[in-house]
Amino acid sequence: MIPKDLKQYTSFFKEYTELRAQENRSNQIAIINGDIVTNIKRSNSGISARVNKDGYWGFASNPLMQDNEVQKVIERATGNAGFLSSRGKKKDIKLPARNGNFQNDFSTHNSLQSQSQIIDFIMKLDEYIKTNCKELSSRVIALKTLDMEKSLLTSEGSTSYSLIPKSFIYIGMTITNDGAPIELWGNFGGLGQFEDVFKLPEGLFGEIDEQYKHLQAKAYGIYAKAGIQEVILDANITGVLAHEAIGHTTEADLVLGGSVAGDLLNKPVASELITLVDFANTAFGKPCPVPVFMDDEGTTAEDCVIIESGVLKRFMHNKESAGIFRHELAGNARAFEYSDEPLIRMRNTAILPGKSKLDEMIASIDDGYYLMKSSNGEADFTSEFMFGIVQGYEIKNGKIGKAIRDITISGVAIDVLKSVTMVSDNVVWDCAGMCGKSSLFQ
Amino acid sequence: MNSLDTAQYALDCLIKNGADKAQCKITQTETNELNVETGDLSLLRTTFNTAVDLLGLMNDRKGSTTINKTDPESIEIGVKEVVELASSAKSDPANDIAGFKPAKAFKSGPIQQDLERMYERLQEFLRYVQQTYPKTIIKDVILSFTRMETVFVNSNGVEFSSENGFYIVSTVFTNKDGNKVSSLNGVECKCKDLNSAIKDLGGVDRILRQSSQQIHTDTISRKFTGSIIITPECLTNFISYFAQYLSNQSLITGNSVYKDKLDRKIADGRLTLHCKPRSSELAETYFFTDDGFEAGDSIIIDKGILKSFLLDLYGSNKTGLPKAENMGDCYMIEPGDAALEEMIQSTSKGILLCRFSGGHPGQNGDFSGVAKNSFYIENGKIKYPINETMVSGNIVQMLNNIEQISKERNNDGFQCLPWIKFNGITISGK
Repeated sequence: MIPKDLKQYTSFFKEYTELRAQENRSNQIAIINGDIVTNIKRSNSGISARVNKDGYWGFASNPLMQDNEVQKVIERATGNAGFLSSRGKKKDIKLPARNGNFQNDFSTHNSLQSQSQIIDFIMKLDEYIKTNCKELSSRVIALKTLDMEKSLLTSEGSTSYSLIPKSFIYIGMTITNDGAPIELWGNFGGLGQFEDVFKLPEGLFGEIDEQYKHLQAKAYGIYAKAGIQEVILDANITGVLAHEAIGHTTEADLVLGGSVAGDLLNKPVASELITLVDFANTAFGKPCPVPVFMDDEGTTAEDCVIIESGVLKRFMHNKESAGIFRHELAGNARAFEYSDEPLIRMRNTAILPGKSKLDEMIASIDDGYYLMKSSNGEADFTSEFMFGIVQGYEIKNGKIGKAIRDITISGVAIDVLKSVTMVSDNVVWDCAGMCGKSSLFQ
Repeated sequence: MNSLDTAQYALDCLIKNGADKAQCKITQTETNELNVETGDLSLLRTTFNTAVDLLGLMNDRKGSTTINKTDPESIEIGVKEVVELASSAKSDPANDIAGFKPAKAFKSGPIQQDLERMYERLQEFLRYVQQTYPKTIIKDVILSFTRMETVFVNSNGVEFSSENGFYIVSTVFTNKDGNKVSSLNGVECKCKDLNSAIKDLGGVDRILRQSSQQIHTDTISRKFTGSIIITPECLTNFISYFAQYLSNQSLITGNSVYKDKLDRKIADGRLTLHCKPRSSELAETYFFTDDGFEAGDSIIIDKGILKSFLLDLYGSNKTGLPKAENMGDCYMIEPGDAALEEMIQSTSKGILLCRFSGGHPGQNGDFSGVAKNSFYIENGKIKYPINETMVSGNIVQMLNNIEQISKERNNDGFQCLPWIKFNGITISGK
């Protein structure tokens, strides 16, 4: 349990201070070929303080949250900032502010399921796969849930309490063809605790069937041709592109570190069809998968339009970088564990829908590929990107053809985005991935 | 209560609450870390962390939990959770805990950090980079000292404890000339003291120098089959891909390409890969495994022959294959007999592969990805740094297509690895 109200500790603040109590609670169950190999719950909670003195930061954290320990953490963070400020002199940068007060709790109102009930749910999925996907040589089902609970207080008066849960089921299927294992993973879930996200096992049977069909096609699929190709990127890949290839290069810490985006503000970086937004908490009338109302620096969150009709408009900032650039804050500074300091992070990054239908887009390609799912991806300061593609099909004469085996694609994001000719009229969120910037986060 | 008493208390609670077999591991760390952002020292962090891993078996049903509190009330809540989780699980006779061995205590590294020295070394490093590589932009440098105490007990009487102290330095940087910027690059090293300058650790200076040469890159205009000389830092990626095929998940599912290959030839006879968690040559060390066995050094590949998987007790019981002596990592490869210079000179067409950015290799060993921070070699000379170049191949085949292994090795504290030249790799330019 974390304290929801931290105001009693204000008297210990001597400099600019952020005080945060946080608990991450997770549940992980993994079943391989019907055997439970993982059945673990974790809880990681504690208090942290970050202090700014003369432009230098001090940070301290502790799992103990009694009053005297909170005081020690604040004093240690203050002392750490003082250690640096006594040995150096930094340019004075005014930290901007967009203070506020928020409370957001997305926990379930349903009765909590016991671990037995959750395991029964997963075993029913396993039984369905075993019965209906007879060509499989192995199957893996993994459940991962994460409840992230935070309380925040800053010396500038911002307060926030949030409980943001998410739940995912990952299903890995393998077919062995000519002695070689061919696998395909699917993921299902999103914002909410298990009880809100997964109602009945039958609710996933249709998607399991779909995944199995794709795997069967892939197992007897072909290798894609090397070289420059015309492609349609499905939502999953577009999301990775938005995150890796463009998003990271526009995070202000990477801009300061030399990213190519630094020289391109207010210049065209994409086709006019492309508008890229890092949504804060609500998009298209619904809560985003990772709703952020206030970030971990106490900044009230707002949407950040990064690219508008092809023009790079904005970077994502924390207070320090916003002060350096003299830009507006949007609430992009977040920490994963209580023992992490806030870093500039994307939130709900999406390319806005266009006007085209997927069928039209496929029909418009004589010789190309429809790329549907990625395994991983990586960005670079140069905007060169790499994605592993694990599901896709060739397009021949405007029709879907054979499935393709695993490939890796790469390109320069700016060049690729400038070449966009069609954008579909629907949006699908995909939020099962974690970002490996400094530490894993979503 | 100290950690050992707390762990014993937790064990007693687990047994009292119905576990037939139980184990508890407690890890306490204190880390102090200096951070540089965009070339300036900017942050000093102090973090205390505690991890209490509780595991209980009830009629071969397993439940486990990790909490980060050691007070009796938190332990009791954790124990009740383990019992609930175990009650909900299915019986699996492969679940077990380590058998009795006499208690042992281990120590490694310094007890206390030297914060002033850390500060001086960082400032020295920043000055060196500014003077020697003026176009280099340091995105960040992190220099940390961690003091870690771990205890492990189980209901078979196993009792291990260890105290470790170590420094880790990591840095990410790029190079810029006008509006041309190089690919980002980085390096991480681990050490037990700060007797050496940061630039002299592992491959730090070499990688900084190579990165400074990579602002203006060119493409390779065609696709060909050639050789790649993989640097020690990049070899780490390929070893981790290979290690996945020896792991629990890969072998339990039956998907591993090496499942039937124990004691059989899987690589060129010049390749010997060790896992040495107890070696004094490395700063990275561990003394016991997460499932309660004293960790030993082992040979994974001995002159091309596969000698060990990386299975823990559960994985071994499940598959019937031998358990590993350790948990992997701490890799060392025996040096070869070729000088690196000679390896480059004997390459007619290929790449010096310094960093690899690729999709997860398939279960069959196929891989493909982008050659980052790399150089094109032609007729024995490094010609130019490259961009937008893909390399693809198969890890299983690659291990049998070793051309040369370097005499030189790089020790970054985590691993000690040579350069290795492989042939038969597909290299595609734009």
